[in-house]
Amino acid sequence: MPSNSVALTPGLASFLKSLKTNPIDTSIDDLISLLKRRQIRHSRSCATATAYLMRSVISATRTSDANKLIERVQYAGRRVMAAQPREMVVGNIVRRVLGLIRDEAEDDREGDFSLSEAGSESQPQTPRALDDPSEVLSYRHDGSDRSSSRQPFTSLSATPISMFSLLSHPEPETSLPGTPASASPSGRLLGHSHNKDIRAEVLDGINEIIDELGQVDDQIAAYALEHIHSNEIILTHTSSTTVQKFLLKAAAKRKFTVIHAESYPNNHEATHATISGQAPKDDDMLSTEAFQKPLIALGITVILIPDSAVFALMSRVNKVILGTHSVLANGGLVAAAGTRVIARAAKVHQTPVVVVSGVYKLSPVYPFDFDSLIEYGDVSKVIGYEDGDLVDQIDVQNPLYDYVPAELVDLYITNLGGHAPSYLYRIVSDHYRKEDINV
Amino acid sequence: MAAPTSGSSNAKPFDIVATYNDLLRSDPDLTMPIAAIEALVLLLTHSPSSTISETLDLLEKSTAHLKQSIPNPIGLSAGTDLFQRYLITTLQRPGQLGPAGDFNAIRAHLLSNGRLFIRRAKESRDKIAAFGRGFVRDGSTVLTNGGSRVVASLLQKAADEKGGPSAVRFKVIYVLSSAKRNSDEPEGMETVRALRAKGVPVSTIPESAVAYAMGKADIVIVGAEGVVENGGIVSRMGTYQIGLLAKAMGKPFYVVAESHKFVRIYPLGQYDLPIEQRVIDFKTEEDVADEAKQQKAVSTETSDAKAVNTADSADVVDFTPPHLISALITDSGVLTPSAVSEELIKIWF
Repeated sequence: MPSNSVALTPGLASFLKSLKTNPIDTSIDDLISLLKRRQIRHSRSCATATAYLMRSVISATRTSDANKLIERVQYAGRRVMAAQPREMVVGNIVRRVLGLIRDEAEDDREGDFSLSEAGSESQPQTPRALDDPSEVLSYRHDGSDRSSSRQPFTSLSATPISMFSLLSHPEPETSLPGTPASASPSGRLLGHSHNKDIRAEVLDGINEIIDELGQVDDQIAAYALEHIHSNEIILTHTSSTTVQKFLLKAAAKRKFTVIHAESYPNNHEATHATISGQAPKDDDMLSTEAFQKPLIALGITVILIPDSAVFALMSRVNKVILGTHSVLANGGLVAAAGTRVIARAAKVHQTPVVVVSGVYKLSPVYPFDFDSLIEYGDVSKVIGYEDGDLVDQIDVQNPLYDYVPAELVDLYITNLGGHAPSYLYRIVSDHYRKEDINV
Repeated sequence: MAAPTSGSSNAKPFDIVATYNDLLRSDPDLTMPIAAIEALVLLLTHSPSSTISETLDLLEKSTAHLKQSIPNPIGLSAGTDLFQRYLITTLQRPGQLGPAGDFNAIRAHLLSNGRLFIRRAKESRDKIAAFGRGFVRDGSTVLTNGGSRVVASLLQKAADEKGGPSAVRFKVIYVLSSAKRNSDEPEGMETVRALRAKGVPVSTIPESAVAYAMGKADIVIVGAEGVVENGGIVSRMGTYQIGLLAKAMGKPFYVVAESHKFVRIYPLGQYDLPIEQRVIDFKTEEDVADEAKQQKAVSTETSDAKAVNTADSADVVDFTPPHLISALITDSGVLTPSAVSEELIKIWF
């Protein structure tokens, strides 16, 4: 992390620095403008910035009333999400924070109501605290563990069985905190408890999310040896840190060949840098990547090709491993432009397509309209300003992303393990609460 | 509580089949599972059983009887199963309605809230419409079929959404079945009229024109009679071919269904449904002559018997396998087909 704050270009690093000193509303505006100007780009940087912002929002809100917290987070969340609606991780983090608050509020409420029920149905508080160190020690193992310990609402007894909602008793339904935060009966119940500091619990939860963001690539990489075997030919696309870590982990033990497709004009420089191991200077992804050895240093043969040559080479490829921008609830994904061509070519050749992605990229949003998910980038990358007179006569577009439908993907590897695309709905329902889907 | 049959059936023994049919007839908005649940609630009102096992036994017997007497019990069995599971689960769960609590309390809850269930079932349609209206985009053309009330409410909601006749932005291709029901007009005409009244341009096509029209459609939305365990649907005959054609042409195929239509059967194909329908009926000249003779013999009572015992041509269903379905729009959200089994597992195990 560069230490001289004067020369800092606006980005994640400068934002995190200023977060400590600036008042909260300034920080929100800061992040909004960073997102709007695309000075924070990568999914993880956006997620990290959002998580830190949410932490500040909550620590700045001096109340123990869960409803006020929810309202505050919703307000801040809506604004930040509106700044860059296509950056779906921002919404994901906001939703997870809202889920955390609701969980804590519910835990409280159950504790108040009846002791017998709290014992059997809700997660008691002490074991949760004990879980955490063990989680850090062995994240290979903790996939299922982790989600269940962090999201108490995944347990079957805690969620009302939705099919029974038709027949259920009318009273419990009205007291469910699923109703909008402003509803008066639930408001009274949620705000009523004073025996525990909700804020402290939520802040702990957010810290866990931040930790998760830091570890996610290593957790995913832990699965690498199960998927990459000796002498395989792996095709990948664009420079994704997650994919690089995944390949590096396997390269430590096995010898294989990587075909790396560059994506002109948006990502080719970053791809070259990844292959040669010279990380670009401007990066706001501070930390480790800069020190990371490239694959070639580990004796892996890396072949760089333009992505127009993918189809020709696909017949020799054993496996396609792709990074992604975000993953949608139906199992489709939004990834760097050119990904769909690769996935389709792989389908034609019956080559398995594996997508590596942190759970934080998994969005509960259902893609009603695929076109609206695609972001368009700087046109000058396609046609430079020196060709300015051409621009008058032709329409130039530079889409940054592709929508890849679920049926082109064979497997998702997240930090929780490998999942079929049709199973993603389950992970979505584990991580986000239904009432938060529309923040 | 007010029920259409309670007055008449006080005197004679309670007839669950008649009650079920009456309920369906009296309210065109009622779905089969809900009618079945209502019938069971009424049954409990009429029987003074006081123990749990007596009640469960009674329910089981009546359910079996009801299923036998209805030509296509798939939709209905979703309702009866749900009712039975709810009863059992509530009794097992700790809480005021649980085993420690009073059996009469849960009985009273069920008996006194029959209307509430119906209302909720209808509300769930609005919920689905709210979830589903995102699927009907500006400028899109929706292809649909059958007389599904959920689809109708979704489309009408979308039409309202767009702000009256001036700003309607989507079109509907309505596939009308050639088979006529009791009335002269094909199923779905009512929805067509309602949509046209709202200013939505609707085109009606016969089933044979689906492949021809599919190229003009952006999405396909259909209703379902039952959603089975693997995420496939049992629906009006003709849905399967629409699904196949949509898949072949790469159009998204959405199913709208309330979650009380989830039913625990696992059909492997068209001929694996637990009902008998004589759609494919091989005949020689001889058979035809025989049948004509028989028909003359029983012509006096034929209309009655036929309506009850064999599914007539308007009531036949087919099975659309899950791989043809892009998503199910239900009152518990937009689900992938594989999520259906999980919902079912939640209530059964």
